[in-house]
Amino acid sequence: MNLQTQNSNIAVMDADSHLEARNIHVWFKERHVLSDVSLHFPTNSVTALIGPSGCGKSTFIRTLNRMHELIPGAGLAGSVYLDNEDIYAAGVDPVTIRLRVGMVFQKPNPFPTMTIKGNVLAGLRLSNRRTRDEDELVESCLNRASLWNEVKDRLDAPAGSLSGGQQQRLCIARSLALAPEVLLMDEPCSALDPGSTRRIEETIRELSSDMTVVIVTHNMQQAQRVSDQTAFFLAEEGQPGHVVEFGSTDNLFSSPNDPRTEDYVNGRFG
Amino acid sequence: MTTLELLPRPKDAAPWRNRSKSLLTKIALASVLPVVLAIAIGKAFGIPGPITLLLVFLPLQLLASGLAALSTRGKRGVADSQLNVAVLFATTFVAIMLGSVLFSVVSFGLNAISPHFAYQNNVYVTSTTSLEYGGAGHALLGTVLVVGLAALIAVPVGIAVAVYLTETRGRFRGPVRFFAQSMSGLPSIVAGLFIFAVFVSTGISRPAGWLASSALVLLMLPTVIRMSEEVLKLVPGDLRSAALALGAPQRKAFFLVIMPAAKTGLVTAILLGIARIVGETAPLLLTMRVNPNTNVNVFSGDMSTLPTYIFAFLTAGFDTGRARSWAAAFLLLAVVGLIFGTARAISAKSIKK
Ligand SMILES: Nc1ncnc2c1ncn2[C@@H]1O[C@H](COP(=O)(O)OP(=O)(O)OP(=O)(O)O)[C@@H](O)[C@H]1O
Ligand SMILES: [Mg+2]
Repeated sequence: MNLQTQNSNIAVMDADSHLEARNIHVWFKERHVLSDVSLHFPTNSVTALIGPSGCGKSTFIRTLNRMHELIPGAGLAGSVYLDNEDIYAAGVDPVTIRLRVGMVFQKPNPFPTMTIKGNVLAGLRLSNRRTRDEDELVESCLNRASLWNEVKDRLDAPAGSLSGGQQQRLCIARSLALAPEVLLMDEPCSALDPGSTRRIEETIRELSSDMTVVIVTHNMQQAQRVSDQTAFFLAEEGQPGHVVEFGSTDNLFSSPNDPRTEDYVNGRFG
Repeated sequence: MTTLELLPRPKDAAPWRNRSKSLLTKIALASVLPVVLAIAIGKAFGIPGPITLLLVFLPLQLLASGLAALSTRGKRGVADSQLNVAVLFATTFVAIMLGSVLFSVVSFGLNAISPHFAYQNNVYVTSTTSLEYGGAGHALLGTVLVVGLAALIAVPVGIAVAVYLTETRGRFRGPVRFFAQSMSGLPSIVAGLFIFAVFVSTGISRPAGWLASSALVLLMLPTVIRMSEEVLKLVPGDLRSAALALGAPQRKAFFLVIMPAAKTGLVTAILLGIARIVGETAPLLLTMRVNPNTNVNVFSGDMSTLPTYIFAFLTAGFDTGRARSWAAAFLLLAVVGLIFGTARAISAKSIKK
């Protein structure tokens, strides 16, 4: 990682960051909920976003693949660069951005009208793409999402017949099938048992050999296990959310610069 | 390690159905006594049936159920029982109304109908002609054609408007929704008059099937739009987000994710739209002329439909004529049943791979 910690608490990185958010501000209607967030995500890195509930983590990652603009009343200032191209520049088609920057939502949302297999392949169908071997793709994606063993005998069952945690893993498999360059994961393990969580964490590590991953998590151990760098978000009372500290995961957890970070990662706060 | 045996499900795996003897007796008493008492009182004082039902039976039933509930479940049960009785009573009331309409159509209709009635036409037939001759086949065909053409236009347009209202952020959603809503209050005869004024009075066209279809479109559109809109609004936003986050263009997200999720609801919307217009008579009387002969061309010539056929024979006022009306009404009911049945069967087809 090319992280150099400067005097400020925000690490600065060199030019070849894969994805970079600059001075992001977010409003919902007139309410300012996110203030001046600048983060960069180097190629093939894993970044954890941590912070108390309601501080704007989900809101922030939705600005990274242009899902934010779908919320009625949403407002945005700042820019996001993907391979040094501004994804909010005039004329950029959000569809192409979302194909390159995949996303797993906080709540599982499989397509109820499709089968398990259909869900995994849904991304390809929706974006008009093909694969040579569907079955192989389905198996590998479900495997990496640690779901294959549980569903291999009922791939044609409706997705709604899965348990909540299984549905979440199906959603992970669905995003993996598109092989995005960047994968945004919003608390992917919050509904999962320890075994599946461990498997997903392994998958994230594997993915980071050819994908840039951004993961929101409330689990400090998970952040430390999977991520290279961590950003700590905080929204103090009556204020918009912002990044208190951003740096390499090791530094942020072992010797945080900000007392608020220290309190939070040690569970004394939030 | 022991392996667990897979047990077959026993017949009575529903312990919540078990009721105690005393409860069952009370339920039996509370449901039989009021009926018996109400009949006795009604007979004794010579009160007409409907009034007995409403003013004698209902209060008695409320009282009996209330007492039964009080003795088994205490005070909390009373309110519950009262509401139960009220809801059941209202349901039964409506069911009896609908049932009696259905029953008269079926019984009178079956009396008058014969196989040839469904395909022969009305040439040389008058109100006094024996039922052995002629039929409403031409009118059945007319209804199918006129309503079919109307649905062909109103369904895609209506659903498209609903999609505009729910899936886009178009600037005219407010006015469009308002317009559709006001249109649903349009009296059907006004729709007929409007088409008459625009096409017939101006000499653009002689009365014809397609004019009737146009009038029906005006009546069907608001129903289809409103219903489809409600149905599409029920599709969880999560599904939309999921589809779009997978890089789907909006069009694909709609056809592959949102529409399948709303499928049964959309079919209901279409069916309600058809139900709205299939029995309409007034606009048809204004926009097309009856024709005893069969006409398959909706774009020119006179054409009968089942509602106008029924209307004509009812107003003529002879017994055989009235019988023909019932037979045609039965035919109309059968057609509607057939359409609804097939639509339901199609929409119930299971999920896609
Ligand atoms: N659609 C919306 N409309 C209005 N306000 C919103 C909307 N979504 C989020 N917010 C507000 O924005 C702030 C940040 O919400 P966000 O969902 O990003 O929090 P979060 O950090 O992801 O929390 P959690 O850990 O609980 O998921 C909250 O105060 C929330 O009330
Ligand atoms: Mg969140």
